[in-house]
Amino acid sequence: MTYKSEMKQLRKQRWHSVKNHPYFGFLIIVFLMFAVQLLRLMGVDVPVAVLRAFGSTMIFTIIALGFSILLGYGGLASLGTAGFVGLGAYFVVYFTNQLGLSIFLTIIAVVIGAIILGTVVGFISLRIEGMYLAIITLGLSEILNEVFKRATDITGGTTGEGIDGIILFKNVLSLSHNTIFIFISIFLFFIMVLTMNIMKSPTGRALLAMRNSSSAAQAMGVSIFRYRLLAFIVSTVYAMLAGVLYMSYWSFTIPSTWTLGFSLNILAAVIVGGSQSIYGIILGTFMIFGLDLAVFKQIDFFVNNPAITIVLNGVLIIVVVMFYPGGLIRLVQTLGVKLKILIQKLKKKWRDYKYGIDAE
Amino acid sequence: MINTDGFWRDVLLFIAALAVVHIVLKATVFKKLKRPWKAADISINMMIVLGILFLFYRVYVTVEIPGGGLYLILNGIFGSIVQVCVLALATTGIVLIFKTSTTTNFAQGMIATVAAFSAAKISTLVSAQFPDMNMTYVVLIAMFTGAMFSFILGVFIDVFIIRKSKYPTPVGKQMITMGLVLVFTGLIPIVFGTLPLTVQKLSYADNIQFTIGDSPLKYNITMHSIYALGITIVLLVTLFSLLRFTKWGLGVRATASNELVASMMGVNTRVITAMSWAIAGLLGGVAAVIYAPISGSLQVSMMIPTQVNGFLAAILGSFTSFAGPLVSTILIPILTNLMSIVTSTWQNAVVYIIILVIVLVKPSGLFGKQIAKKV
Repeated sequence: MTYKSEMKQLRKQRWHSVKNHPYFGFLIIVFLMFAVQLLRLMGVDVPVAVLRAFGSTMIFTIIALGFSILLGYGGLASLGTAGFVGLGAYFVVYFTNQLGLSIFLTIIAVVIGAIILGTVVGFISLRIEGMYLAIITLGLSEILNEVFKRATDITGGTTGEGIDGIILFKNVLSLSHNTIFIFISIFLFFIMVLTMNIMKSPTGRALLAMRNSSSAAQAMGVSIFRYRLLAFIVSTVYAMLAGVLYMSYWSFTIPSTWTLGFSLNILAAVIVGGSQSIYGIILGTFMIFGLDLAVFKQIDFFVNNPAITIVLNGVLIIVVVMFYPGGLIRLVQTLGVKLKILIQKLKKKWRDYKYGIDAE
Repeated sequence: MINTDGFWRDVLLFIAALAVVHIVLKATVFKKLKRPWKAADISINMMIVLGILFLFYRVYVTVEIPGGGLYLILNGIFGSIVQVCVLALATTGIVLIFKTSTTTNFAQGMIATVAAFSAAKISTLVSAQFPDMNMTYVVLIAMFTGAMFSFILGVFIDVFIIRKSKYPTPVGKQMITMGLVLVFTGLIPIVFGTLPLTVQKLSYADNIQFTIGDSPLKYNITMHSIYALGITIVLLVTLFSLLRFTKWGLGVRATASNELVASMMGVNTRVITAMSWAIAGLLGGVAAVIYAPISGSLQVSMMIPTQVNGFLAAILGSFTSFAGPLVSTILIPILTNLMSIVTSTWQNAVVYIIILVIVLVKPSGLFGKQIAKKV
């Protein structure tokens, strides 16, 4: 073998190992986001609405990833997501406006707070089976929403509260949306890597076993309570971190965002996308939160009839759930396989046409 | 006038005392009984009842005018009649669907809202045709047609959407109802226009006013709430007697306990589920028409608070029975009104906390039974 062909082989092998690395897809997504942002910065006329839609999608994807560990792996449904995300957002308001602390300190405080909150809530409510967790967390979310509305000194009441800008070190820095967008995409990458590692680790396997049959899992020595608590804490931390990101991206929060509707939307994003696949969740979140802003608002017909976009969104959810219970990602996978078979068939036909049909 | 000093301290102390008594009883007396878990269950029930009674008593004591405490409490109860009716109807619909389809219907409020909108349209039509007609009859006609509309909508949803889905799981059905919420949210402004619509009250006639004993304070009940109470009682009594005494009711109960076995025993479960969706829609429609004049002009999201409360009531009373949710639907608005005497800003949060505490000490709900699960 010549040196040249050996090198070619080596390069091929390296490319193969890079391409099949589990993080490759995440990198591609983050680079796509970078590219959109860079295009905007370079002066290409990317509509602002599209950027905002991608930003929101990335933030809400983080929440949905936490939810997928809870629902897709732990088999627990929570309706309190909105309350936790809102709490994260108001944490930023309090730390920035009242205490004047840096965003990094805020993030650390939020993570610690989320772990404590998740432990307490989980410890109390996880003794209760299935649907009751959903309603308990719903009650908790309602209480938090009342607090957001009534504790006017900190939260600004029903009219909402904004921040002038996030504080990096010491003084107020009003970072532009573009900078924060890039920060969010890097953050999303790390969150995706972390989620992937949780999902594929023994913890994830134990959760999956527990979801499929709690009795069998228990018999194999999986402590149900401990893993459920872990899943709940992870989802709480993700939700509150996403709240911090939301606040730094939008700089404004209002209690009417953090209602049952928001929690249901997150649930819908996870179910519609496919509750156990990271790419599915990104797809689902984009469909629920981003599609409206990024696609429909760019077409004149839908701008004139805003009600139709909501109807279309609802119909999409219904159709996906009715006919593709595995979620959108399953549909995409099936389509991919079908496309591959079609291409193979066409290739064979082309060969037959070019070189004549093989004699068997 | 109202002295709330030490209110929360007293309540918390009382609850702590109850908890201590319960734990001590559990450790000493119940252990020796034949069925200790049953005794513990009864004792927890007693503790909950005592706690709620103490809450009433403490509010009663708060008011320092002679007879004022009773007045505030009773007036609060009379004032929450409409909310109780609305909540009772909506919750019964949610529980009915949960029993037959094992899913929580998030679209319940939206179906009801559609009924309210169509009732508003119809009432304007009717009063334009017959200007001399009594307002009560107009609203009743509108309520009937609106409820029929939501009845048909319920059947439609079950037959054409829920039943056609490929692999129906409880969570999947929930997602479908959520999608329906979005669809209706979009469709209502398209179908009914964006002009503000209103439904009239059932009656604007004189309110009933009376006094109790020789205190000069006047109690006040609106005619609207009396009509609402009458309609609710008639509907619920009819529904419960149907469930109890007819073959359809037997079918519903059989389907609720086990759908597969019921269908094998010759119960037509398809008709049963379709009918329960329809009846839930009807109840929701009536509730929305009763609730509409209170919230002013109709809005797409007007039934959402009722729906959230309905879920909480269903959990508080346990999904396994029909009577338990009813009791909690009476409890929740009255407690909210009661707490608004003590704090005017935090009453909702306090009530939610009370609900959470009750659900935590009694996970199966106020009237629930522990269901043994087979592996």
